[in-house]
Amino acid sequence: MAGTRIRGRIAATVSVVGELLITAGVIMALFVVYSLWWTNVLADREAKRQGSQVRDHWARQPAGPGALDTKDGIGFLHVPAMRNGEVLVKQGTGTDVLNEGVAGYYEDPVKSGMPWDKEGNFTLAAHRDGHGAKFHNIDKIKNGDAVVFETRDTWYVYKVFAELTQTSRFNTSVLDFVPKESGKTKPGRYLTLTTCTPVYTSDYRYVVWAELQRTEKVDAKRTLPAELR
Amino acid sequence: MYAWIWRHLPGNAWVKALISLVLVLAIVYALFQYVFPWAEPLLPFNDVTVDNGMPAGATVPGGGMAVAL
Repeated sequence: MAGTRIRGRIAATVSVVGELLITAGVIMALFVVYSLWWTNVLADREAKRQGSQVRDHWARQPAGPGALDTKDGIGFLHVPAMRNGEVLVKQGTGTDVLNEGVAGYYEDPVKSGMPWDKEGNFTLAAHRDGHGAKFHNIDKIKNGDAVVFETRDTWYVYKVFAELTQTSRFNTSVLDFVPKESGKTKPGRYLTLTTCTPVYTSDYRYVVWAELQRTEKVDAKRTLPAELR
Repeated sequence: MYAWIWRHLPGNAWVKALISLVLVLAIVYALFQYVFPWAEPLLPFNDVTVDNGMPAGATVPGGGMAVAL
């Protein structure tokens, strides 16, 4: 009966290997659930908490020019075309920052300009998927769309004028003071949004450029500018 | 493998099922809480910034600042 025993052992081995493969498949499926759902839950919760903290902070501060608090976030980005409400903007583009469900302004490799600078390029990055996926709908943004950045005292209303739907991840020139690929040759008050593309991967980068149209003072009731109504 | 675990769980079928459920939940919790957050930065799915090819999560010496992915 040695043959039967060997056959039994082979069958047992095959079934263990099969079970391990099934287990690996289930773990990978769980990882997808984690990446595309659970990280959003955590990041949205965190972003909401930090966002209301910034708004509280603004409400308590007396009016007038105050020290800029870069740690908690400098303001909120509103992009009606992305249909995702407001996105808190914080300093830096490290994973620790972006995983909180916020957009970050670049410190490196090219330091971002600020919306209130006379000239410069305000450069932002956020996740396309997972961790809040704040720039998930970046491909819905078209030329002429409004992008509004809200600070404590001012609405900065930008208008989109160029998109780069796919570029190398090493193309840091999109962040330049004057981003040449957008078609601009002179310094101005630009805004650059970057995220990864195609969706669910990070092989390339997607870039959207906008230029400042006007600014509006925030009134006591924080009335939204026409673009957001 | 799973059959072996099932045989070694104590109690009748109901108790075994309950223990199995608790074990599965514990494993899923451990994965979501510890394993996936650890594994995620090592996988190339979610880099969003343009950069000079620095490794993910690297820090500038002395700067103490997280570098863009």
